[in-house]
Amino acid sequence: MIFPVDTILSLVLLSILFSYGTSRVPGLIKIIAFQGIVASIVPFVIGHHMTAGGVVFTLATLLIRGFVIPISIYIAIKKVAIRREVEPIVGYHASILCGLGVIVAATFVSRQLNVPSISDSTLLLPTAIALLVTGMFLLMARRNAIAMVIGYIMMENGIYLTGTTFSVRVLHIVEFGILLDVLAGVMIMAIILQNIKQTFDDVDTALLRTLKE
Amino acid sequence: MVEILFLAPFITGIFTFILPKTTGRYLLAATGAVHLLLSILLWINRPQAIFHNYFAATPEGLLSLLVISLVFFLISIYTVTYLKESEIRSEKIFTGSMLLFLSTMTMVTLSDHIMVMWIAIEATTLASAPLIYTHRSSASLEATWKYVLICSVGIAMALLGSVLITLAMDIGNVDAPLSFSALTQVAKELDALWLKAGFIFILVGYGTKMGLAPMHTWLPDAHSEAPSPASALLSGVLLNCAYLGIFKTNKIMFAAGLGDFSGTILIVFGLISIMAAATFILKQNEYKRMLAYSSIENMGIIAFGTGIGGIGVYGAVICMIHHSLIKSSLFLSSGNILLGYGNRFIENTGELVSRMPKTFVAFFGGFAGVSGFPPFGIFIGEMFIIVGAFQSGHYTAAGLFILSLCVIFAGFANQVMKISFDTSTETDRLKEKASMVWPQYVLLTTSLILCFFIPDTLYQTIIDAVTAIGGGL
Repeated sequence: MIFPVDTILSLVLLSILFSYGTSRVPGLIKIIAFQGIVASIVPFVIGHHMTAGGVVFTLATLLIRGFVIPISIYIAIKKVAIRREVEPIVGYHASILCGLGVIVAATFVSRQLNVPSISDSTLLLPTAIALLVTGMFLLMARRNAIAMVIGYIMMENGIYLTGTTFSVRVLHIVEFGILLDVLAGVMIMAIILQNIKQTFDDVDTALLRTLKE
Repeated sequence: MVEILFLAPFITGIFTFILPKTTGRYLLAATGAVHLLLSILLWINRPQAIFHNYFAATPEGLLSLLVISLVFFLISIYTVTYLKESEIRSEKIFTGSMLLFLSTMTMVTLSDHIMVMWIAIEATTLASAPLIYTHRSSASLEATWKYVLICSVGIAMALLGSVLITLAMDIGNVDAPLSFSALTQVAKELDALWLKAGFIFILVGYGTKMGLAPMHTWLPDAHSEAPSPASALLSGVLLNCAYLGIFKTNKIMFAAGLGDFSGTILIVFGLISIMAAATFILKQNEYKRMLAYSSIENMGIIAFGTGIGGIGVYGAVICMIHHSLIKSSLFLSSGNILLGYGNRFIENTGELVSRMPKTFVAFFGGFAGVSGFPPFGIFIGEMFIIVGAFQSGHYTAAGLFILSLCVIFAGFANQVMKISFDTSTETDRLKEKASMVWPQYVLLTTSLILCFFIPDTLYQTIIDAVTAIGGGL
């Protein structure tokens, strides 16, 4: 049986695959915005018991993950137009292949794990794991500093989705604290991105390798 | 009213961003003094927190808090003069971030809830990032980028680990608050497999922040690029905060009967860190980076001691306290050297003994302390750890441990001798302000006194902290 939540989660899986293959930063920003929106509305769809506070918190998550974070990254890079492509460490074709492998492995692993899930959705845990691993992949396989920050945001979305799957009994005030931390972290990364762009006139992290032994 | 300890520096920190910069300097020192006073009051009274689901005054937290408070107070006095002497463009941001940093670190020591602990540790990263970027150079930008990205990603792993611990609660059908103290009591009912997985993620996550190899790569860069008072804070107290997260999780592991599992992992990470530090310290050409590697070594020693268990845990806590006191004094002294010589390379220094005699005393004393000369505290701590390792039958590990310590001592001593006694191109005496030397003297003297005389209340608190993970004399 196909659950409604699985339909949007399959779109997230597609967007993950797309993020492996794209070199365009605006495209990646749209992807994390979409993933952020889906990750925050999943609790609505899978039938968590919603209190008034829960609804307010979910809407706040939606606002921050879906809009504030992607827009702040967009503003940070808009002023400093990207002049040239930064060569990735792992090529885009190879990346897509990796992405396929990650999605298959995530589905396989989450079937093996046999953890109690709050909903009957079959795609929730695989999507969460795939998001996490994709975030890590972007952090390691890209030299573009913006892509690395986007990888970090993707990882955070993945962890949030994992928490949703396991019905974490964390109070909303604490969840909100975590969200604020992530937001502040992304803001600081955006400021650093701007400074990197101004100092080096590029976002290639190969330029950031002067400090070493 | 436990919460006032982190609210007070938070509020003064916000004010510092607005107030004129000279007022900000004195506000920094005043907040340091008030914070120390409040910490001592907290230590004596031990009240319950208002939000007792989230915050609590635990023995290990109180220990770290007192160390943080004392070290911060002395660093803040140093900083007042340092800011007058050096040219820092955005001084308001610097002092404000120092205070926010103090606030977040205090929050780490007082938090009892797993997620609040995570929030506080991530907040320390964010509050300290502006400190590293103070000099606005391309190198400091690189250091800040690495620091924020590596630590944030690492700490995200710890968040995943915390989520896995809630999963262990779900599977074990445990209904308890998500706090370290509550979970330690019901640890036996938690699902062992997911608890182990959670511990590994938390260790990797907070270990990144603590500077355990191979996740330590941000540490030498950040410590060498930050202004010296900030490096002293990073090395002296921030690393302890991350250790506290691991310590508290290890408490749950021990209570669940998985102490051997967590101990072995801690021993492995500890040994890797010590050996990595030994490799890099030998041919180091910058003195602040050298001190940073020494911090990695000491964090390795602390992790190793915690993993050994028994008397080793006691040794680890002793090492932690003395490392904070001594290493922060060393970084402050390195700030004097940098201001005097205007150079960060060892080869461009020299004749410290005659050119800056007062700083020399502090620097050399600190070196003797941190590299484990008797009778300093680190020597005592390392002795306990080695004895503990032999008692528990970790002969190979103990052998590697001792060998690495010898290599580090040789490398460290070689560099310090160069700085202190090598001939320098110039021989004129460099100026040293008294207020930039005596904070180091106070730190070193405190460390020295603690070797011979530990007050009963302090001793009892250390014992309370270490018995929870199977330690003790």
